[in-house]
Amino acid sequence: MLSTLSQCEFSMGKTLLVYDMNLREMENYEKIYKEIECSIAGAHEKIAECKKQILQAKRIRKNRQEYDALAKVIQHHPDRHETLKELEALGKELEHLSHIKESVEDKLELRRKQFHVLLSTIHELQQTLENDEKLSEVEEAQETSMEADPKP
Amino acid sequence: MERAVPHAVPLGQMEVFQTLQRLHMTIFSQSVSPCGKFLAAGNNYGQIAVFSLSAALSSEAKEESKKPVVTFQAHDGPVYSMVSTDRHLLSAGDGEVKAWLWAEILKKGCKELWRRQPPYRTSLEVPEINALLLVPKENSLILAGGDCQLHAMDLETGAFTRALRGHTDYIHCLALRERSPEVLSGGEDGAVRLWDLRTAKEVQTIEVYKHEECSRPHNGRWIGCLATDSDWMVCGGGPALTLWHLRSSTPTTIFPMRAPQKHVTFYQDLILSAGQGRCVNQWQLSGELKAQVPGSSPGLLSLSLNQQPAAPECKVLTAAGNSCRVDVFTNLGYRAFSLSF
Repeated sequence: MLSTLSQCEFSMGKTLLVYDMNLREMENYEKIYKEIECSIAGAHEKIAECKKQILQAKRIRKNRQEYDALAKVIQHHPDRHETLKELEALGKELEHLSHIKESVEDKLELRRKQFHVLLSTIHELQQTLENDEKLSEVEEAQETSMEADPKP
Repeated sequence: MERAVPHAVPLGQMEVFQTLQRLHMTIFSQSVSPCGKFLAAGNNYGQIAVFSLSAALSSEAKEESKKPVVTFQAHDGPVYSMVSTDRHLLSAGDGEVKAWLWAEILKKGCKELWRRQPPYRTSLEVPEINALLLVPKENSLILAGGDCQLHAMDLETGAFTRALRGHTDYIHCLALRERSPEVLSGGEDGAVRLWDLRTAKEVQTIEVYKHEECSRPHNGRWIGCLATDSDWMVCGGGPALTLWHLRSSTPTTIFPMRAPQKHVTFYQDLILSAGQGRCVNQWQLSGELKAQVPGSSPGLLSLSLNQQPAAPECKVLTAAGNSCRVDVFTNLGYRAFSLSF
C-alpha cells in the first residue's frame, strides 16, 4: 500500500511539474508571438518608408533626365562667349571697311569735281577761240568790202 | 478511345449578331469612377460598359467578374471620349456631350442627367467631339473635335462660354497645363496650340511637322496624342513621339518608335505610350525604352491609370483599343487579365 501511495504521489508530482512546464512554455510562446508582431509592424513601416524613398528617387531621376535632355539641346548651340567674340570682331571689320568706303567715296567726289572744272574750262576756252575766229573772219570780210568799194 | 466529334450547335440569329458585334468592336475611351472601384468603357457602337475593378481584382474573382456590371446604350454614334468629375460621368461622341450620375449608373435603365450640344457654325452637319478635358479650377469642361474649335462649357450653368479658334483641321486631343493654366490642343493640321483660358487667346504654337528631327512625312502630320507635365510636353502621331520643352519650344528627345502612338501619359518618372502596336511602351525621359508589355488587342487607343486615392488596392493601368477587351495591368511589368465587353 505504501508503494502505491508513493507511486501516486510520484505521478502527481510529475503532472504538477509538467503543468508548470506547460505554463512556462505558454509564456515563452506568448513572448515570441509578441516579438514577431512587433517586428512585422516594424517591417511594414520600413516598407512604407522605402516606398516613399523610391518615389523620391524616381522624382530625382526624372529631374536629372529632364536636365540631361535640355543640356543636350543646349550643347548643340555654340558657346555664348565665342559667338560674342566673333560678333565683336565682325563689328570692327565692318567699321573699318565702312571707313575705307567713305574715304574712297570722298576721293571719287574730289576727282569728279576736278574733272568737271577742267572740262568746263576747256569748253570756255573753245568757245573763246571760236568767238575770236568769228570776229577775225568778220573783220577780214569788212576789209575786203572796203577795199573793193573805193576802186570803181 | 475515340473522341466524339462535337456536333456543331446551330447559333441563333441573335448570337451570331452579338459575336459579330464583339469581333468588330473598338473601345475608344475609358474613365475611372471617383471612388476608384469602377471603370467605364465606351465603344464604337455608342455603348458604355461599367466594370467593377474591385470585384475583378479581388482574390475570389471569377469569370463573371470580368464581364461588365451594366451595359447601356449611351449615344447614337461612337463614344470617343469620357471624363469623370466628382459625381458625374461625362461622355461625348456624336456631337453631344451627356452626363450620367455615377451613383445611378449601376442601376438598370439609367437615364442621362443632361445633354448639351456646343454651338456649331453650320447646323447641317454635326461634327464629332474627339476630346473632353476637365478644368477643375474653373469648374468647366473643354470640348474639341470636328469643327476645329475648342468650346468651353461651364459645368454649373451648362452654358458655353468661349470658342477658341485657330486650328485649321479637326482636333484630336487635349491636355491641361496646370500651372498657367493653359490648354494644349493637337490636331490633324499638325500643330500643337497652347491657349490661355483667361484671355481666350492662342499663346504659343508648335508646328511639329516643321522640325526635321521628328517629322515623318510618310505618316502625315497629324498629332494623335498629347500629354503635358507643366514644363514638358510629349506628343506623337504622324511625326515621331517627341518630348518637347515648352518654354523654348525645342524638341529634346525623340523616342524611336515607328508605329504612330495614339495615347501617351506621364507616370512617375516614365512616359507610357500606346498606339498601333500590341504593346504598352514604357519610356524613360532620356529616350530609352524601359519595357514593352504586350496587350491582347492588336492596336491600343486609350490608357487609363486609376490613381484615385479612395481605392489604392485598385491602382491599375488599363488599356483598350481595337477589340472588345480591356487589359488590366496590376504591375506595369505584365498583363494580369482582361475585362471583356
